[in-house]
This record gives sequence, C-alpha cells and structure tokens, in this order.
Amino acid sequence: MNTWRRFVTVPIAAIVLAACQGSAAEITNVVCVGEATTYLDWLNGDLEPDEPDPIAEADEAGDLLETIRERGTIIVSTDPNYAPQSFLQPDGTFVGFDIDVATEIANRLGVDIQFETPDWDLITAGNWGERWDISVGSMTITTPRKEILSFTQPYYFTPAALAASEQSGVTSVDDLSFELPEGAEATTLPTDANCAEAIQAGREEFDLWVSAGPTIDEAIGSDIPIVKVSDSIYVENLAVAIDKSGPEHAALLYEIDRIIGEMHEDGTLTDLSEEWFDGEDLTQAPGE
Amino acid sequence: MATQSDALGRSQFLERVRKAQARSRLSFRIWFALTWIVLVGGLVFALWITGNIDLSFINEWGPYVLGGAGLTILLCVTSIVFATILAIFGAIARLSGNPIINGVASLYVSLVRGTPLIVQIVFIYLALPQLDIRIPAIPAGIMALSFNYGAYMTEIFRAGIQAVPSGQREAAQALGMPEHLVMRRVVLPQAVRIVIPAIGNDFVAMIKDSALVSVIAVQELLWRAQNVGRQNFRTLEALLIAALVYWILTIVFSFFQERLEHRMARGDR
Repeated sequence: MNTWRRFVTVPIAAIVLAACQGSAAEITNVVCVGEATTYLDWLNGDLEPDEPDPIAEADEAGDLLETIRERGTIIVSTDPNYAPQSFLQPDGTFVGFDIDVATEIANRLGVDIQFETPDWDLITAGNWGERWDISVGSMTITTPRKEILSFTQPYYFTPAALAASEQSGVTSVDDLSFELPEGAEATTLPTDANCAEAIQAGREEFDLWVSAGPTIDEAIGSDIPIVKVSDSIYVENLAVAIDKSGPEHAALLYEIDRIIGEMHEDGTLTDLSEEWFDGEDLTQAPGE
Repeated sequence: MATQSDALGRSQFLERVRKAQARSRLSFRIWFALTWIVLVGGLVFALWITGNIDLSFINEWGPYVLGGAGLTILLCVTSIVFATILAIFGAIARLSGNPIINGVASLYVSLVRGTPLIVQIVFIYLALPQLDIRIPAIPAGIMALSFNYGAYMTEIFRAGIQAVPSGQREAAQALGMPEHLVMRRVVLPQAVRIVIPAIGNDFVAMIKDSALVSVIAVQELLWRAQNVGRQNFRTLEALLIAALVYWILTIVFSFFQERLEHRMARGDR
C-alpha cells in the first residue's frame, strides 16, 4: 500500500510543482531569433552592419551574367516562410515584396526567374555550389558576410523589432529585468517564423522574439498572441547578395546594382514597399 | 440403426461447429472493424470539438500539400530501382571469394548501416560541394535513399541468393555452365523471386523515410506540410494532412505488397 502510494503521489507532486514553477516564473531572459540572422549577432553583441563595397563596371564575357543570359533564367534563393517578403501560395508559387523585387530584376535583365528554397543559414554561409545565382532575401549587409558574399546597394531598409508573448505581460522594454542585448540569452530556430509558431503553440522556453518589424507585424496580423514591445532597435540595410566562391560575377553585380538604382529612382521600389508593407515606404535610407 | 444416427449426429455436430466457427469469425471481424471505427471516429470527434481545426485552411492548402505525394512516390520509385541494382551487385560481391571485392562491399554495407540516414542526406547535399561535387536537391535525395536502402537490401539479397538450394548451382555446373552464367541464369532468377516481397516491404518503409529528404528543401509531402503550416500558423492541420497521406500511401502499397507475397508463395508450392 505504501509503495503504491509513493509511486502515485511522487510523480503527481512533481508535475504539480513543475506546473506551479511554470506559471509563477518571471520573464526569462531567453530571446528567440532565426538561425544565422543579424538579430542573433545583435544579441551576441557582434553585429557589424556595413555598406556595400564600391561596384565597378566589368566585362560580361565569361561572367555569371553571360551564363544567366544564355540560360535565359536567373535562379534566386528565397525563404518560403518570410511573410510579407516571401511566402507560398496554395498553387505552389511564391509572392511577397522580395519576390516582386526579384521578378522585376529578372524582367529588367530580360530573363525568366526560378526560385530555390534553401535554409536561410545555407544562404548566408556562402558556398552555394552554383545551385542558385543570387539571393533576393532581405539580407542585411554585415562585415563578416561581406567576406563571403558580394552585395549590391540596399533595395530597402527594415527596422529590427522586439516582440513579447501576450502571456508574459511584457508591454515595454522597461518591464524587462535585464538589459538588451547584454543580459539576454539567444535561442535559435531555423527561421524567424518558427519563433512565432513556438509562442503560438504555448511553448514557454522563451517569451521574447527579435525579428524584422514587418515580419512581426505580419505575425500579429495572423493572430499570434504577441505584442510589439520595441519598434526600432536598429535599422538594417537589405541588399541582393551573390556568392563570392562561385563563378566570376562582377558584371552581374554591376548590372543588378544598376537596376536597383533605377528601381529606386523610378519609384518601382516605393510602390512595391507600399503595396506589401501597409502603405509604408521602407526604401528610403534612414536619416536621409 | 444406432450407427446411422450416430453418423448423422456427427455430421450435424460438425456442421454446427463449422457454423459456430464462421459466426465467431464474423463477429471477430465486426468487432475489429467497430474498434477501428470507434477509435478513429473518437479521434476525429475529439479534434472536432476542440474547435481548433480550421477546415478552410485544409480546403485551401490541402491540394498543395497533397501535390507533394507525387514527388514522394517519384523519389521512392526511383530510389528503390537504384537500391535494387546496388543490392544485386552488393550481394554478389558480399558472397565473392575475392577478398578485395568482398571487402569493398562489406565496407559499403557497414558504412551505410552504421550511420544515420539523415547524416547521409545532409552529407551528400551540403558536405560534398566543399569537394566540388555539386548535386541538386532531388538527385541528392534519391542518391541518399538509394545508397542507404541499397546497403540494407544487399543483406536481404545475400540471404536470398544463399536460400537458393545448392543443388541448383551444382546441377548447372555439372552441365558445364560457366560461373557467371550460373549466377545470372540459374541462381539470380530464383533469388529475385525470394526477395521480391522484401523489396516491397522496403518500399513501404522508404515512403516513410523519404520524409527526411525535406531537410534539404526537396518540396515533398513533409516539406510542403511544414512550410504551409508554419506560414499560416496551422501546424496541426498541415501535419495531420501529411500524416494521413503517408498512412494511406503505406496502407495502399502494403496491400499490393501482401498480394505480391501471396502470389510468390503460391508459385513456390
């Protein structure tokens, strides 16, 4: 009888205790971010935002640009889960701001477009193995990334934002018992949307999420139980990237950079931004 | 007189036993089916009353997720063909008296069976480019699945070849058939008959293992379900669709596999 009781009561007591701890705990300092994002760099204190290197005109012969023109198709990497920049449609095609920008670049190059969907950390790691030609994936220009990737001028700028789960009760940075980013501890999931997914699933490993402002707005719009705590932690320069370990691509870089400049000037980028980001024009450099 | 009524009694008795057996078989089947219906129905009902199932999501995205089944089947059919070819050569090599050939095949089997399939998939897709070997995602997935299943099936084929009675081989040799012809014309045809049910079995297992290929962004069933679920924050519905499709696929192919097994067994008698 005694042993029987022990077998039943001990686990029950343990479960009750654990449950109490879960609900009574204060906000943890764990912050969720996507793998290989600048948000992770920021939390780790080694974010080094950067500008693209000067881009010079180059000969097209033997360049990746020539290969793309001969092929008649440019292969662009994209994230299938980064609304509103890039996301799937029920017919299997992609839509979003990045998708439209990439398609416009392809149009102006006079080639067709094809999308690949590798994991984000594969894109930022370089060594693409010629599986895709360029990344039009809202990639922030940073010093470490510049060692392995070539960047064009930015095509738009997003504020990094902080979100908290509704159940944490956090509504402002002042509610936190630690300093950001110094006191925070990062936990990574494969892509930013996984963080929202985990909070929605009621996981309690973390209450905070750092991502691009539009991405967080999109999650709030999809009824994810989170609130935006800080609107603009810092602003990111987002550009088109090309793998440095791949074939010669100076002419391609020059041409795409030129097209982006043209799209800034003729208002194409502003129109697309206002279309996808609730009327906001994110294509102007901050402080300009 | 007595014996006649006895015989009648016995046949009536046997008839009654037969009927009772048939009834009990029938009632077993009815109860078995009822158990399934109650369990599955209960599960569906339980999900239903939570009110957390979004039918409009399933309507909208179901066809896209389902479309991944085609790629899943294509991956598996192609891989099982390559795996079978690998396994035939592997098995012959494993039975070879040549230490080098035997060694190569044993190393292959040991290496593949000693490492997780997911490591092999990621290795082919992500690690090989560092050696300038670049394989697109779908062929990389097919390679990994063929390689992996080829090793397991090598052992099955080896057992199949060894199961062919040695008299067959001896008879062929006695007729003066050269060794390679003995293998090709006499042993292999009989071995293949023995191992065909096992290939079917592996095919069904592969349908499930092929889900691992989603990690290298091959847009098969699981990849589609995960991405669609994540994007719409409807993971439960998306994974339920994927699980259901895998389940149905394995049931359908298991059914064919069992029929094949029956046919093969009949031929043996």
